[in-house]
Amino acid sequence: MDKSPDAGVTLVDPAHPPSRKAPLVWAIGAGIPWLILVLAQLVWVALDGRVVWLHLLAAAVTALGIIAFVVVAPLWRYRVHRWEISLASGPPAVYTRTGWITQERRIAPISRVQTVDTYRGPLDRLFGLANVTVTTASSAGAVRIVALDSEVADRVVAQLTDIAAIGAEDAT
Amino acid sequence: MSLPTGEGHPVLWQRLSPRMLLVHPVHEVLRQLPLLIGSLVLGSATGNPWWGVLALVATVAFGVLRWFITTYRIAPDEVQLRSGVLHRKVLSLPRNRIRSVSTDARLLHRVLGLTVLRVSTGQEARGDSEFALDAVAAEQVPRLRAILLADSLAIPEQAVTPGRVLARWHPSWLRYSPLSFTGLAMIAAAVGIAYQAGAAAALRNSPLAQSGRDVAQRFGAPATAAAAAIVVLVASVVLSVLRSLVTYGNLLLRRDAELLHLEHGLLRLRENTFDMRRLRGGTLREALLVRAFGGARLDAVMTGVNGAGESSLLLPPCPAATAQAVLADLIANPDAATGPLRGHGPAATRRRWMRALAIPAVLALVGVMVGVPVWAWVAWAGLTLCCALLAADRSRSLGHRVSDGWLVARSGSLERRRDCISGAGIVGWTVRQSWPQRRAGVATLIAATAAGVKRYQVIDVPAELAWSIAAGASPWVAHNRWAAPDPRD
Repeated sequence: MDKSPDAGVTLVDPAHPPSRKAPLVWAIGAGIPWLILVLAQLVWVALDGRVVWLHLLAAAVTALGIIAFVVVAPLWRYRVHRWEISLASGPPAVYTRTGWITQERRIAPISRVQTVDTYRGPLDRLFGLANVTVTTASSAGAVRIVALDSEVADRVVAQLTDIAAIGAEDAT
Repeated sequence: MSLPTGEGHPVLWQRLSPRMLLVHPVHEVLRQLPLLIGSLVLGSATGNPWWGVLALVATVAFGVLRWFITTYRIAPDEVQLRSGVLHRKVLSLPRNRIRSVSTDARLLHRVLGLTVLRVSTGQEARGDSEFALDAVAAEQVPRLRAILLADSLAIPEQAVTPGRVLARWHPSWLRYSPLSFTGLAMIAAAVGIAYQAGAAAALRNSPLAQSGRDVAQRFGAPATAAAAAIVVLVASVVLSVLRSLVTYGNLLLRRDAELLHLEHGLLRLRENTFDMRRLRGGTLREALLVRAFGGARLDAVMTGVNGAGESSLLLPPCPAATAQAVLADLIANPDAATGPLRGHGPAATRRRWMRALAIPAVLALVGVMVGVPVWAWVAWAGLTLCCALLAADRSRSLGHRVSDGWLVARSGSLERRRDCISGAGIVGWTVRQSWPQRRAGVATLIAATAAGVKRYQVIDVPAELAWSIAAGASPWVAHNRWAAPDPRD
């Protein structure tokens, strides 16, 4: 170790953004439950429209929720989300930045990787996206790279499994 | 290491100790007690006492059958346990996955010289999926333990000889036990059960309750309430001390080369064997009251051992110096166990104060708006003082230290903890910032490990220090492609 903790280390952010389609998919995914809520409120108005102020209040809350979770959150998350896998210099590692209001940077060395999974939900399949989860021996250490283009995800998985196979340690 | 039978031959299924033929029926009767009482009631109601006898015979037969049906075998590559009277099941564990072997002998078991032997792979296993040999003869335990741990440990035979004693229970440790709430919890549980059983209705019309009401009238309600509170308090203290004595009496923590051996219990004897090579650190836990009297409890941070609760306990509340000395010995790093910590600075302190005083502030606002009587303001002042003390203590507790590849983090007040984690055991790092944290320029650093509670937090460190701390404990953080020297240098 040639750097003492007081020398000061900062990590530059990972390079790659998620797929360009990510905000759209996130918005649709978040929008469906809100749409159901809107429909429920319309039914409510149709059945019993007497207490006008209550309806207006409910509509305002819903509108705020939609703006926050369907419009702002996906765009904000797209600006924050980054991922990168380092193979060339230093010990191979995977590094991500995620979140919107609460943001996380997470790094794990590939020598400690136990499994590499991909997950494609119905919306992901519709738009050709995939999510890669890199798990380590710790439940607090799983690194998730979300909303990648399918072919990028496949390449990532192939790369990761290639290197992870080299490290035959216990990984705990 | 010798196996029960030679390699290559099919390994025979073995039964548990025949003495269990005595234990099983008793346990079964105890377990089915409500059913038996029910059948007795049914018998007396219908005037046919045979109902009760029939139920008892069936229960005892069930218990006896359990012994005939439960078998285990130790094959060259796995251990298997067949059990279940109605639902047959076979539990198999690969032998190289065995992480720890613990034993446990309740009173009845001890009288008969029996011991329950539990095998753990480190996965969560409760109830049905738990691999427990209930029970084998106590004299067989060292042999079985050696066989079971042989694959994962590869310990030479002579290493089983008793080694160095790290800590031995002392009666003075009991002085920390009244400071816990276990006694109160036990009383509450007992009262709850009594109420459920309908004791309240029976009590209301009893002469006991009548005399209680008379006493209350004679001495006045406040005095009676105070007396009742004192009685409950004394009972809770006595129960706490008794429980601590029975559970931890005769505790002995011993290190035999690569094995850590813990045994404790006066009536119910429990032994636990840990593999030292799976030790990734330790946690000193000081509950507020225990800390006030200079005590601490020690937990192991180990892969394959659940970090919360009793399974990771190495020392119950004992003098802090003892706990620190044992921790320093185990991790071979006195600095990590007792060394000074680096504080987290004014932003972290400010956040502790903001949080602690948020509730009093809201209450004050409500109080001003609604208009409350004077006594409420006195109570509010008391609450505010408590919150302020809490904030001061929490800020003082916050601290971290990285040295020699060890991460030390301390936090909390009511449950203060000092986590010492080996950098080699850390499998990933997270720097988390909520929106207020970003504004305050602090971050929470989370070390992920496979051991203990899996995530160990360094709360509210200055954001620019977060990665330096990580790099101090895990050199690979400083050597990867994203690492850039701090621009301030």
